Amino acid sequence: MWKQPAPANSSFNDYNTFPLPQTQRGQSSHAHGPVGHTQQPLVTGTSVLGLKFDKGVMIAADNLASYGSLARFRDIQRLHPLGKHTLLGVAGDMSDFQWLKKELDALLREEDALALSDSHPSLSPKNIYELLSNLFYARRSKMNPVWNAVLVGGWDKVKEESFLAYVDLLGTTYTAPTLATGFGAHLAQPLLREAFEAKAGINGDGPLLTQEEAEKVLDDSMKVLFYRDARSINKYQIATITAEGVSISDSKSSDTYWKFAEGLRGYGAQTQ
Amino acid sequence: MALYSQPPMSYTQEPTTAPVEHRFNPYSDNGGSILAIAGKDFSVIAGDTRQSEGYSIQTRYARKVWQLNDKAVLATNGFAADGTNFVKRVKQRLEWYEHAHHKPMGLKSIARMIQTMLYGKRFFPYYVYNILGGIEEDGTGAVYSFDPVGSYEREACRGAGAAQSLIQPFLDNQIYFKNQQPEAGSEKFVPGNLPLSTVLSLVVDSFTSATERHIEVGDGLEIYVVMQKGRSADDLLDEKKLAPGLKVEELGALGEGEGERTFLVRQSLKRD
Amino acid sequence: MTSIGTGYDLSVSTYSPDGRLFQVEYAHKAVEAAGVAIGLRCKDGVILGVERLLHSKLLVKGANRRIASLDEHIGLASAGLLADGKHLARRGREEASSFRENYNSPVTVQILSDRISAYLQAYTCYGSVRPFGLSSIVGGVDKTGPKLFCIEPSGVYYGYRAVAVGKGKALAKTELEKIVNKNLESGTEGGLTVREAIDEVARIIYLVHDDNKDKDFELEMTWICEESGNKHALVPEDLLKSAEEKAKAALEEGMEED
Repeated sequence: MWKQPAPANSSFNDYNTFPLPQTQRGQSSHAHGPVGHTQQPLVTGTSVLGLKFDKGVMIAADNLASYGSLARFRDIQRLHPLGKHTLLGVAGDMSDFQWLKKELDALLREEDALALSDSHPSLSPKNIYELLSNLFYARRSKMNPVWNAVLVGGWDKVKEESFLAYVDLLGTTYTAPTLATGFGAHLAQPLLREAFEAKAGINGDGPLLTQEEAEKVLDDSMKVLFYRDARSINKYQIATITAEGVSISDSKSSDTYWKFAEGLRGYGAQTQ
Repeated sequence: MALYSQPPMSYTQEPTTAPVEHRFNPYSDNGGSILAIAGKDFSVIAGDTRQSEGYSIQTRYARKVWQLNDKAVLATNGFAADGTNFVKRVKQRLEWYEHAHHKPMGLKSIARMIQTMLYGKRFFPYYVYNILGGIEEDGTGAVYSFDPVGSYEREACRGAGAAQSLIQPFLDNQIYFKNQQPEAGSEKFVPGNLPLSTVLSLVVDSFTSATERHIEVGDGLEIYVVMQKGRSADDLLDEKKLAPGLKVEELGALGEGEGERTFLVRQSLKRD
Repeated sequence: MTSIGTGYDLSVSTYSPDGRLFQVEYAHKAVEAAGVAIGLRCKDGVILGVERLLHSKLLVKGANRRIASLDEHIGLASAGLLADGKHLARRGREEASSFRENYNSPVTVQILSDRISAYLQAYTCYGSVRPFGLSSIVGGVDKTGPKLFCIEPSGVYYGYRAVAVGKGKALAKTELEKIVNKNLESGTEGGLTVREAIDEVARIIYLVHDDNKDKDFELEMTWICEESGNKHALVPEDLLKSAEEKAKAALEEGMEED
């Protein structure tokens, strides 16, 4: 889903099979010389999925960070907890993600320290989401985007309900009971919506999926993504956020079936 | 022709293949449509609730119409991130105005302020089409429409957004009576005098029609009705007079409450 | 106050002929007027306690704390000018946060104390500023174990097994010495457990408090230990309550003996 790193010139490497270290960073035709701003994503994570269920919300993302089409880092975590009741699922540029983690962790640590003296409530998922939205929009307005699409999942302790929302590098925001970034928006979102609406109805006022049902839908969706998204890997985690807090699963894999491939011309051993 | 036997040097030196520039595009189009119609003693401001990007529906419920104070409602359409952030700024300016002047800002003043704010970003515009509706200080219903950089005028009605080209001609015909001839002997048509029930029907028909023919319009319809102080709301609150499927709620006064009343009418639209 | 009228006490950048900085000594006076603050290093953590004097009956219970968090694992209890204490806590948090940013690891209590003390010391060098009217106790548990330091207005700091500052610190210190000596004699060098220390700190603060002379006070206690998840946190309400009751009972007993 994320743009391929740009080749230094278009006649070189038409297939974008690997990214080039000599990418054009901040080159402009201005007389004032290069401007250090606008970037492009280099090491990227693909889809993140989010789904509300009866006792909270789940977020899933695989463990791959790609360098163009190279599966560069195959054991990274793209789910990041913030405090007791909030979790980010992050797609897009992984260095921007790491920067984001560092900034938010520092902020939450400061909030925690201050809470001892003035006993103010900790940041709610909604608070963190608003902060992220403002940050992403401010950075896009400086033409220096934070190159990510983020799902924020959480549990609102005051309203006693789950929270799920999206924000991306443009500062675009929205919320829905099922969400997906990137390729997931095309491949998984229809599956998530179908499963959600089958129980809750189109207005979402019926019963929600149970934890087991929600996890099954996410497992199925992650499998579809692994089959069809070339920038995915068959190793992913699911985070569950409920009133009890955040828990992130160990990495797991889908059972896949490739027998059909043997019969495909151009896939197996045949030469003709 | 010796002069032209060879192309000028500067021309031959131009590179035949320009390097592809990957420049960050800070805008997006999130589809949807908005519409407002002014009556003699009321104003109706409406928008659908679908937010999309390309062929993907991001969410089936995102707000595009916002109550600003007891006599003004603003509808935004275009790039959603700019829309929400613009409304946020407008609301902040209105609050500052109330602190400074101990009264809410009048409609025509809000309109002028919006022009200033939009033009203030003339060279990095808010990619948003705005329609402001409400009650003027003389008690009349009013609609102001804006382009993204602040050009504005007061009108009897305006449609904007993805389905503008579908809605506006319909409004021209039904509100401005374009291409209509009064029956011989009957009174001349005067725009802006239709009863509320007729206006509501026109709004609903506009959106159901746009939903049929435009892929970016649908899911839900929110219609805000602002009424002049002292006007009876019976035509809106009597369920028998209302088209089936419409749900009405009155929004309480935001400020001191000078008598104007705002209602929110909801209806579902097709989701395909 | 032999210094008064000599002119050597007007600027912190001027020594007196016998090598003293009177402004720094006056800062100590500001500390002596404050309610006592106690730090106690235990074998399994650190306890901080202060006697928060209430200058008005209108104050909200539990508000206006004198113990602040500098990082997850470090607390700061200060005695002296309250506003100076808040400023110093803020500075301490910035130092702790910047250490994490630079080294991706939590700062040790020793290093943080060193940086805070360097900051305080700078306020004893220039004529344009006044020293902090503070003695601050920094306590925490880091990778080197439970640690306790006290920083004075001059910028000097020492590590302690136990320390007290503020009004009645002398009495508090003799009580703390008894505890420490007992531990040394019995060969439990590490000292008490934090659980045991809660009662001791409460007892000492109640003992030091002069009901006749002093205003009313609230007992404020925090700890860093395994039970608090190795985080700087308030001592749980029930433990604090029972410690206070024991402290009051011990006082009564003491009076009957007299």
